[in-house]
Amino acid sequence: MSTDPLDVDDVIVKPTLAPLGAHSEFVLEIRNFSVDYGVGDNMVRAVNDVSLNLRRSKVLGIAGESGSGKSTLVYAMTRLLRAPGVISGGDVILNITNESDENLEGTIDLVLASEKELRKIRWSHVSIVLQSALSALNPVLRIGKEFDEVLKTHRKKMNKVERHDRAVELLKMVGLNEDRLERYPHELSGGQRQRIMIAIALALDPELVIMDEPTTALDVVTQREIINELNVLRSRFGFAMIFITHDLSLLVELADEIVVMYAGEIVERAGADELYGSPRHPYTLGLLNSFPPLHGARHELAGIPGSPPDLAALPTGCNFSPRCPFVMDRCRSQAPPLTLLGGSDRAVACWLHASDSPTPVPVELARCLTTSTTAVTSLKDRS
Amino acid sequence: MRIILRRLGLYALTAWVAVTVTFILPRLMPGNPIQTLIGKLTGNVTAGEIRAIRLSFGLNFHQGILGQYFTYLNQLIHGHFGVSITLGAPVSSVLRETVPWTIGLIGLSTIISFCVGTFAGAVLGWTRGSRFDSLIPTATFFQAIPYFFLATIMLLFFGLNLHWFPVLGAYSQNVTPGWDWGYISNVIRYGELPLISIVLSSIAGWMLGMRNMMITMIGEDFVLMAVAKGLPRRKVIMHAARNAVLPSIANLSLAIGLVVSGALLVELVFNYPGVGDLLLQAVFNEDYPLIQGIFLVITFTVLAANLIADVVYLALDPRTRTEAAV
Amino acid sequence: MKSLRLPKSPKVLLGLGILCFFIIMTVIGPWLAPYDPSSTQFAPLLTPSAHHWFGTTSLGQDIFSQLLVGARATMVVALLAGIVATMLSMTIGVAAGYLGGAADDGLTLLSNVFLAIPGLPLLIVIDSYLPVNSRSNTLVIGLIISLTGWAWGARVLRAQTMSLRNRDFVEAARIIGEKRRRIMFSEIAPNLLPVLASSLLFTVLYSIGAYVTLAYIGLTSTSTWNWGTMLYWAQANNAPLSNEWYWFVPPGICIALVGTGLALVNFGIDEFINPRLRAAGLTSRQRRELGLPRRARLGLTPVLRPTPRKPVVPARATLVTE
Repeated sequence: MSTDPLDVDDVIVKPTLAPLGAHSEFVLEIRNFSVDYGVGDNMVRAVNDVSLNLRRSKVLGIAGESGSGKSTLVYAMTRLLRAPGVISGGDVILNITNESDENLEGTIDLVLASEKELRKIRWSHVSIVLQSALSALNPVLRIGKEFDEVLKTHRKKMNKVERHDRAVELLKMVGLNEDRLERYPHELSGGQRQRIMIAIALALDPELVIMDEPTTALDVVTQREIINELNVLRSRFGFAMIFITHDLSLLVELADEIVVMYAGEIVERAGADELYGSPRHPYTLGLLNSFPPLHGARHELAGIPGSPPDLAALPTGCNFSPRCPFVMDRCRSQAPPLTLLGGSDRAVACWLHASDSPTPVPVELARCLTTSTTAVTSLKDRS
Repeated sequence: MRIILRRLGLYALTAWVAVTVTFILPRLMPGNPIQTLIGKLTGNVTAGEIRAIRLSFGLNFHQGILGQYFTYLNQLIHGHFGVSITLGAPVSSVLRETVPWTIGLIGLSTIISFCVGTFAGAVLGWTRGSRFDSLIPTATFFQAIPYFFLATIMLLFFGLNLHWFPVLGAYSQNVTPGWDWGYISNVIRYGELPLISIVLSSIAGWMLGMRNMMITMIGEDFVLMAVAKGLPRRKVIMHAARNAVLPSIANLSLAIGLVVSGALLVELVFNYPGVGDLLLQAVFNEDYPLIQGIFLVITFTVLAANLIADVVYLALDPRTRTEAAV
Repeated sequence: MKSLRLPKSPKVLLGLGILCFFIIMTVIGPWLAPYDPSSTQFAPLLTPSAHHWFGTTSLGQDIFSQLLVGARATMVVALLAGIVATMLSMTIGVAAGYLGGAADDGLTLLSNVFLAIPGLPLLIVIDSYLPVNSRSNTLVIGLIISLTGWAWGARVLRAQTMSLRNRDFVEAARIIGEKRRRIMFSEIAPNLLPVLASSLLFTVLYSIGAYVTLAYIGLTSTSTWNWGTMLYWAQANNAPLSNEWYWFVPPGICIALVGTGLALVNFGIDEFINPRLRAAGLTSRQRRELGLPRRARLGLTPVLRPTPRKPVVPARATLVTE
């Protein structure tokens, strides 16, 4: 750790990576990851013991309400979380197999990485699209400059013309004209800005792209266009993606696997079709019922009763128990662990599905996945 | 471009207001001071000079007040500021000798103060929480000391007691003015202490303003984005600083006004042959033509500096150039 | 209305402490003064001693008494000018910000003009034209100081009003038909309080500087005792050059201290207005105890470990060394 408060060194060193292990089909492995805000008496745990894996070129969707910890998770994961956030445990393993980048191959724990190593990894292997494109772009710089500086930093061999060409190529990929490079952020529309953010995120062909609610601030039409473009780009370049949203319906078409978070913990993890067609956790059910489906029969919107949890004053037992329509006595005293459902990759944190549960599983949470429940054609299958 | 024209218009208007104020003021005050002044002078100065003074105030008994006003304006446009009573010379020639000293001193000290101050402020903002933060109360204290007081202390301490710097005057008696190195180096030598004094008094303002803006900018998403991109630290700081400096430039008008006000007194303390000393002598002697002339020249110079600052701001912040965002 | 929380920042507490001290001096100063400040009965130019805590002037006056008595005029004029100027700023600024249109344009022009004309030279010009007997009237002096010091506050308040005007609660009041003046006073004004307080402090700071400077030049009455007048007499009698530090240093230091106090409190208000300026989360002591780096670094979220030195080794060897 440098003692120089300014620390203006800008030497980017190649990190020493350990060789890839047996699990290299996962680009990202998160193990028992916990994040707090503050320490001591005022400490609030925003992410609690989260573990998940992401395979190469797959899309992981993270859904949940505001305050569920989904944004905190990804920012902390990339060590970008602002003070007073603190990582209080766990590991975030990134497996790099990108041959194009100077033969950099290996595995690195982001939690243990030094600043120099992080600087090398950032953007060239992990990039992030922030929620609000207007505030994420420097208002006094032209768009072209944003491209140029990231290319200059990580691809030292490229000259000015090559960098410009690459920027034009990236813009074309997201459907924008090259003249956008000369513009300032405030001169562009929201949709254009978000596209530019995505283009910049892909500038170095990273293995993992994180999207933090990229379409929340946009109108529905633009939202649709951008989701379509993302699918196209993903099939073309093969990056893995983490997509954060509070709108579960977006994930159904986009994600391979969905993780639902509540009060900083994962409550359910399943493939997208499985989750949508046969939810197992009461919270997931509530989320799904909060959004009217575009197709199919109309039904009453239920919503979820109660209010979002106060992370500083969580209930004993299951965090969701005060709002759960299927709550049992056990739920109020014991917190259910995230358990694999027999014979599958699915996991759920709910006592209803425990093998020794006294009550039978409610019918809404015991649906079987049949072809009829996947009436929505998945866009990702189309591309 | 339209914006610059608007600012130019504003400054022209301000100049006009300043001119009008100096016209109206003596007439507003009880016991017409100019008449008294002229009464005092009769017998000590030539009739021609009295006429010149009268003209500089637009005092022509054959015209009504509006006529006097236009005569006054006419005089000013031709550069006739009247005749100084105490010095017996036309105000414009007196000013021509003294104004360059003041502009040199204040201009240079403002530039140094701004550059060093904003740099220090950026460092303070970026390294918030480090031991550098202890500079803040010290800077605040220096900001609160009246300019002339600090100047006096420095004069006493560094000049008289420690003999590190020469005191009093812009150049030593033995040197003759001219464009040679001997003279110029002498001028620089004599100017060092007043310069340091003004810089010390004014730097805190820039520093603290920049620090606060830097902290605000660091909380913005685009700086986080710069870090997420893996940019070297220096570039991240520049991202923040480029935006943080804008309000300082926008506030230059206020700052220049304060610096000029303070620097005038510093000149007095160090006997620097600039406008400040002249102004105070004029006040003491109730030399109204001179007071008026100095005030107008100071005002016009400050307005010009403001215009330059506005142009610089326009160049740095693209958001001001387009009328509206899409 | 939120309850008043006592500020925790040491800077602000220090500032408040200083201000309280000088306010007390203002109130009871003249009673505490051991001698009449104008009386010349003592031996001249005595250095500080038990009888004369700050020595005497060249006329044989007790400096300490001058300091105590002078506090009142200095502080009162500064406060008065500050309040009047702030009231002016508020009226003009809020009206400009809220009314918009031609009224806004006109008032903004007015403030810009006053802002651009340098304050002190204008003050000097106005004051020099004043008949001498008016100059001893502190009210008049305070008034003209406020005339030159309101423009900055007006600009800030206008900006703040404009941002508040478009907020929902103001919109709601407008819809139900509340009168404009009432909206300005009961809806917008309370939200302006922090900015107003900051503006007041800044203006008082400016006023004290302006008043002291005017007195130093000799443009106020030289018989009313204030700190600036003390400096005037000191300068006139060549005290600095004669190394009589006890004469001119105390009033200067007092002025500087009051100014510092105002600025420090202003800091606190700034932090209140702009939440980002508040210290976020962990104090440096907490950080040290936890083995974290001394200050927060952007892009390097700190990692807490149960045992800071020994990282947890996962099942596979993935340790990275520098």
